[in-house]
Amino acid sequence: MLFPSDFLTRLEYLSIISKRVFRGQLLAQRRTVQMGSGIEFSDHREYNSGDDLRYLDWNIYARHGDLLLKRFQEEQDLHVYLMLDCSRSMSFGSPPKFDLARHLVAALAYIALADLDRVAIIAYANGVFAELPVTRGKARILPIMKFLEDLPTSGDGTNLEKAVQGVLHRGARTGLAVVVSDLFDEHGFQRGLDQLRYRRFDAHVIQLHDPKEADPALLGDAELVDVESESVRKVTVTERNLKKYKQLFTEHQTAVRDYCHTYNLGCTQSPSVIRFDDLVMRMMRESGVGR
Amino acid sequence: MSFALPIAFTLAAIALPIVALYILKVRLRRVPVSTNLFWKQIYEEKPPRSIWQHFRHLISLLLQLLLLLSIVLAIADPYFSWQVLQARRLVLVIDNSASMRASDVAPSRLEAAKSAAQQIVDGLRFRDEVAIVLAGSTPEVIVGMSGHAPTLRNAINGITFSDNPTQLSSAIELGRELVGQHPHGQFIVMTDGAIEADELSRRAGDVNPLVHDAAEEPIKDAENNRGTDVPRSPEITPELSVEYRIFATDAANIGITQLQARRSLIDPLGYEILASVRNASANPVSCRLELSLDDIPVDVIPLNLKPEELWTRSIEKTSLEGGRLRGVLTQIHSGTQVETGTETEASAKPDVAAASVLDYLETDNTAWALLPGRKTQRVLIVSQGNLFLRKVFEANPLVEVTVRKDFPDAWPIDSIIVLHGNLPPVLPPGNVFVVDPAGSCDLWELGETMETPIVTEQDKTSPLMNHIRLDNVMMPEAKQLQFKTPPHSLAKTLSGEFVYAEVKRANGKCLVLNVNLDRGDLAFRTAFPIMVANSLGWFSGSTGELKQSFPTGTVTTVLLDDTTNSGDEFELASPDGTSSPIVVMRTGTATIENPSATADVADFSSISATIGPLTQVGVWSIKSTQVLAEVAVNLANARETDLRPLKEFFESPQTQVTTAGWFSRPFWFYLILLACILSAVEWFLYQRRLIS
Repeated sequence: MLFPSDFLTRLEYLSIISKRVFRGQLLAQRRTVQMGSGIEFSDHREYNSGDDLRYLDWNIYARHGDLLLKRFQEEQDLHVYLMLDCSRSMSFGSPPKFDLARHLVAALAYIALADLDRVAIIAYANGVFAELPVTRGKARILPIMKFLEDLPTSGDGTNLEKAVQGVLHRGARTGLAVVVSDLFDEHGFQRGLDQLRYRRFDAHVIQLHDPKEADPALLGDAELVDVESESVRKVTVTERNLKKYKQLFTEHQTAVRDYCHTYNLGCTQSPSVIRFDDLVMRMMRESGVGR
Repeated sequence: MSFALPIAFTLAAIALPIVALYILKVRLRRVPVSTNLFWKQIYEEKPPRSIWQHFRHLISLLLQLLLLLSIVLAIADPYFSWQVLQARRLVLVIDNSASMRASDVAPSRLEAAKSAAQQIVDGLRFRDEVAIVLAGSTPEVIVGMSGHAPTLRNAINGITFSDNPTQLSSAIELGRELVGQHPHGQFIVMTDGAIEADELSRRAGDVNPLVHDAAEEPIKDAENNRGTDVPRSPEITPELSVEYRIFATDAANIGITQLQARRSLIDPLGYEILASVRNASANPVSCRLELSLDDIPVDVIPLNLKPEELWTRSIEKTSLEGGRLRGVLTQIHSGTQVETGTETEASAKPDVAAASVLDYLETDNTAWALLPGRKTQRVLIVSQGNLFLRKVFEANPLVEVTVRKDFPDAWPIDSIIVLHGNLPPVLPPGNVFVVDPAGSCDLWELGETMETPIVTEQDKTSPLMNHIRLDNVMMPEAKQLQFKTPPHSLAKTLSGEFVYAEVKRANGKCLVLNVNLDRGDLAFRTAFPIMVANSLGWFSGSTGELKQSFPTGTVTTVLLDDTTNSGDEFELASPDGTSSPIVVMRTGTATIENPSATADVADFSSISATIGPLTQVGVWSIKSTQVLAEVAVNLANARETDLRPLKEFFESPQTQVTTAGWFSRPFWFYLILLACILSAVEWFLYQRRLIS
């Protein structure tokens, strides 16, 4: 079972932590960028540093001394697009990276839903092959979990660019795009993220990898079978080759970090053997520190 | 090439699974990876598997097959015909005589010889056989012909010192029997060369050793030598080869070559010591000979010996007690010492280090001798009064004399009864000495009086007649005695009448002196006290004044006091305390036939034990519930004391040390070595990922 019985409990906990400890900064910062032009008053929210003072509710401040911002309908509808890599490379590892990725997507979706944001989930491999349309409300977490649980890994490759194009063609509003993937994209991960940037999406990359991908215990003669393309390569792995592999892997990881840093994108890199809630907590802490 | 175990080739079938595994292993394992992105970059520069990559597995297969072949051949134990045809039979004759204890060759000559013997064993060729014989007083084969190196090494390590003299000839003769008719027999004699010259020449004649080519210069300065390989005697015979290896230098030594003790023939309390000391060196030596009797000092004799001098002296001492006499050489110095009064000034400064280079053998610095003790004897004289008779007994300090004129009510059993004149009808039991019998008794009938008997016949072999001549003693009168059983005559007249006789009887010893002491001059002659002294000794059963000291290696028969029971066990204790059981002989049942009477049977039981070879210097004991007899054993060998080898050994060129050289080991050894190398190569290639 992908989602154990205490999963929702843990999600609730994360949601509370996100609001009370981290003041919703995991997603709220982006929210302030999404200046809506709506006029219908919807709700108050607490003032955070950097918020526009024009939306400060003077009455409440006069009466109670609290700094609260008025939330209008457009502003509070943050669209969170959770792009889940469902290529076969995500099924690698023990436990598979795909499981952690789905847990993460479920957690982020719940946090967003709890904060009255709208959430959409896009499953992609070498293109979008499944989608959960934009939805809101905490009660939607169950269908989301069902959706995630039913997702397979498939496809014969990974193409983030094509997936992003597919999202854009579906008329997605700008918002927050969280890419949960191992970024083993033979076309290059940059192209897909560039598309998101060009469309003014606020992108956050969560890159997962299995420890054996970073340090394969592989020496001698072997046939390497790519689980995505099923291509076979006969190699003789020497210690020298292994050392080169590790170097290349590290360079790839560094390239992802550098790209995100360059373009001010959020970046979280983690091995897949970590618990999803620990990873979310880490993301919260890192987002609190700032990018 | 032949094979000792050809069935081992069936193990070559192991090659089949090796090849099968090789074929199966050629299929590569499939390893799923999440992406080939990085592997592509690594292998873009060159093809993933080159020709070398394809064939390196074959090399691994070949290495493994070679390894298997090496092991199979090794198990099959191949050998060449020349190994069988050229196999040698070596006899190592090792001299472990007393002189081999000398420390001039560190740590000792014997240890150096054993070390050389070990080297010979290490250098044996395949199929060579070695026997080891000890050249002691009795040659001993400690290992028969064997090619098993560990057995030979253990046997060599087990060789210990002995105090025996050298007997090379017997050992070589024994070794010859071991070699038999083998075409490649060889003798190697490990000795210090301290043997008699005639024994060396006998060796040359008997065994016809080979002459080898000289490889090194002969050693001139033997003093610094630690062991030399020596020459052979000159006879040439292709069948047998004798090589002498000498482990000795011209070491100096001083030792006791003789120590004996005996009781005086005249003085009952006196005894004589015969001692000889040899200075077997080219330097004058001063020392002291300390004599002690049961650890009580008897005498200390300073000695100044010239080079090569043999000092011998007879020393007279007095002691009632017997015991163990020990002689020890002490304070050995070079040069001479001058005795001034009670002090001794050394012309050379006493130097402990100097003493050690003057005396390389300690075994002969101590010698032992056994001095018979003297027992007090009780004598009861029953006589009407004869001063001479009484005085001749009283003159002996070891005799307690009691004189009576009449017969006692009970005859004492621990005394010698001297009956002068009157006799009881039945002589008392025990030791009885009858002088001038005046009547008959149970052993004889008194006959007529003989006038002026002249002794013409004497038993010179009897201990009773030692140092006595009665033929010139004037005896005006004697009685004829008609013995009921023929006595043993000690002195007889021309007509066959007994003057002095030993009468054999079952209940004790009996002597009769058929001479009138009151008339005649026997009582005035020195023969009379000697006769009495002889009779006292004979009555007491002492075997004489001398308990001989024996040289080491002796086998001897010892008479024991018959105070034991038939079921007692006997053991021989050596000077170092070790005991071993021995078997004793009980002998003697004599039947005396009397033509005129019924035959009487007299029992003479005696116990003796044959012991030896006595291989240690010291006092050996035969004991049962108590000590029954002791035997003193000394080195007492002038040749063993002289540690210097014969000059002949240094006059001939040396021989090369014969070692096996390369390829002396069996062929399987090299095959196993090859297999180990192949394993190492395979392992190296595996570790370097050159093969999988």
